[in-house]
Amino acid sequence: MSELASSKSAGRSAVSKIAVKGLKKSFGANEVLKGIDVEVADGEVVCVIGPSGSGKSTFLRCLNKLEDITAGSVVVDGIDLTAPKVDLNKVRQQIGMVFQHFNLFPHMTVLENITLAPVELKKQTKVQARKTGMDLLRRVGLEEKADARPASLSGGQKQRVAIARSLAMNPGIMLFDEATSALDPEMVGEVLQVIRDLAKEGMTMVVVTHEMGFAREVADRVIFMADGLICEQGSPVDIFSHAQQPRLQDFLAKVL
Amino acid sequence: MQRLSTARRTQRGSVAALGVLLTILAMFFGASGAAALSPAPHVAAQPADRSGAVAHAPVAAPSDVVGKTFTIGTDTTFAPFEFRDSSGELVGIDMDIIRAVAKSQGFTVEVKSLGFAAALQALSSKQVDGVIAAMSITDERKKVYDFSDPYFDSGVQMAVAKSNTDIKGYADLKGKTVTAKTGSEGETFAQSIAGKYGFTVKPLDQSATMYGLVKSGNAAAVFDDYPVLAYGVSQNNGLKTVTEKEAGGSYGFAVNKGQNAELMAAFDKGLAELKSNGQYQAILDKYLKSPQDTVSADSSFWALLVSSMPALLKGLQNTVVVTLISFAFAMLLGLLFGFLKVSHNIVLRGIATTFVNIFRGTPLLVQAFFFYFGLPQIIGQPVNIWVAGVLTLSLNSAAYVTEIVRGGIQSVDPGQLEASRSLGLGYGTSMRRVVVPQAFKIMTPSLINQLVILLKDSSLLLAIGFAELLYQGQQIYSNNFRISETLLIVAAMYFIVIMILTKLSNIVDKRFNK
Repeated sequence: MSELASSKSAGRSAVSKIAVKGLKKSFGANEVLKGIDVEVADGEVVCVIGPSGSGKSTFLRCLNKLEDITAGSVVVDGIDLTAPKVDLNKVRQQIGMVFQHFNLFPHMTVLENITLAPVELKKQTKVQARKTGMDLLRRVGLEEKADARPASLSGGQKQRVAIARSLAMNPGIMLFDEATSALDPEMVGEVLQVIRDLAKEGMTMVVVTHEMGFAREVADRVIFMADGLICEQGSPVDIFSHAQQPRLQDFLAKVL
Repeated sequence: MQRLSTARRTQRGSVAALGVLLTILAMFFGASGAAALSPAPHVAAQPADRSGAVAHAPVAAPSDVVGKTFTIGTDTTFAPFEFRDSSGELVGIDMDIIRAVAKSQGFTVEVKSLGFAAALQALSSKQVDGVIAAMSITDERKKVYDFSDPYFDSGVQMAVAKSNTDIKGYADLKGKTVTAKTGSEGETFAQSIAGKYGFTVKPLDQSATMYGLVKSGNAAAVFDDYPVLAYGVSQNNGLKTVTEKEAGGSYGFAVNKGQNAELMAAFDKGLAELKSNGQYQAILDKYLKSPQDTVSADSSFWALLVSSMPALLKGLQNTVVVTLISFAFAMLLGLLFGFLKVSHNIVLRGIATTFVNIFRGTPLLVQAFFFYFGLPQIIGQPVNIWVAGVLTLSLNSAAYVTEIVRGGIQSVDPGQLEASRSLGLGYGTSMRRVVVPQAFKIMTPSLINQLVILLKDSSLLLAIGFAELLYQGQQIYSNNFRISETLLIVAAMYFIVIMILTKLSNIVDKRFNK
């Protein structure tokens, strides 16, 4: 697995799902991302770790252009998100995103949350969408909650529904933005299990996480970010057992 | 409610309008309907010159008015000249005279009870053709209006509260406040002696309010036309007169200077006929010699309730209708501008912000006056009172709805829009399916609140003579002087309707925002 990372400059771009070059992002005068270069291969699971304020979430949000990109380029499935006439809605259908605070639609039932996009975007008929939706709910173990309102679910259940919702458009890439950070400890496991299953199925994923154990277990590659830059990256073993940079060593000493 | 006559005098002469102007002038100044066309060209030779038009006034023959309908403005209540009898009918010396004249000269009148100052404003803005409102003929007014022959010799008199024994003459008014009707002879006279006797004058718009002020002791005396005071005293309005009446002016019927000459000619001719056949004296006697029993014989609260209810219900209906129509427009405009306010386009945001600033930043009454009295002068056309009322209420309310909509949309967690956009849904779809339904839930209580405010604000339309609930109440109490009881009934009616409206809104809220 370590060669995956080390060989990233050796012509893997042909199969790379995501290619980021010189990505910079500023909020006013505050430069949060200071030049990120990274590629994610098809089927690769990349975990992003780092102290808060290091720019992990902003980086993730640039990958589906929820944030405007100040400089550099982000190419997803061969489509440059920074191109002037890019159809973002089309690209985003290929990228599922899971948020720290779930962001379920409270005025809809669980199933309606899942079927909204496929039906509105005319990818599926209502009947088809309901069937796919139920399949997805079964996959995350919540089919009995189909007609419930999000407010009646536990945090872990909400996040599983959110994952099911982002899978409804059958995306090729999944982005997880601290998906377990807002959960009570006893619910972290059920959500991680769903993500783990996705990894096993070969989904390309970028996972911003504070769960070091999970990153070590699931990641093909771990990226350590600090101060808006990639400070160090490599296989989980490289990162967690043979950290080179003092900043990473410091960080790991604090969180492990 | 109002005439929508096509025969209007255009104010700005343009080449295109010249033909219309000629025709209209022909209609107004022509000798007769059939012969109108031949004298028209030379009459129209100096069309825009107002003094020129006055010179033509005597040419107008009263017979020109036959079959026509004129809108006549008058005061709301100025008994015994104009007031509503117990059946809600507008009666009084002015009313009887103008109707008798109209009948004898073969034209019809549509009387609009606006209030004294408002009637004159309406005349200036051509909302009405003439004004008969116990108006004294003065040199000042003659500059702006043409007056008929005098139809009543009046004079100002002072009245004080019945229980007041301190004030026996003008000298006793030193340091006190007196009241008089805004713009009336009473005010002019009071002002003229205010310096000499050392009192201040507080002008008011409503007779009943003036009398109330005197009875409550907030004003020491009221200066009003003697027939009005005499009538009030005979109706037990709680006042008495302690001084003799001042030799005063005469009342005349007024039209805009240089306009409606044929109406004026018809009035003078009709008045002369009434005087010669005794009808004129009969009208005066009817109101001044043996005043009508306008105060209900049964003075119980119940009797007041029963007798006032038909007029009040009519007012309530107008209140509710104007409120609902205005609210519908306010919602449409408010939604539009609310969305503009959250848009990313700085120009669209600017438009919405300007709209809100203008209509939230100026008083509702100013807007009402502007749409009813100001707008007609700008566009040269009368504005229907319903149009003016709905414009006022809906634009004013839309400014607040805009802010409610903006606030509602902005209070939805931004993560909702992000989640929707991250699924590949467009901005419009995301707003429609995700943000707006949640925003509406947040907005509903504020919108219900706005509806209630709108309904209450509609009472301000009484200032332009819109016959809503409070206006009807004023009409009633300025006739029977039972102010507190009438206002209690009006307040209770507002309260009940607002309660019903609130309950209905809450039911709708529960149904749609479960």
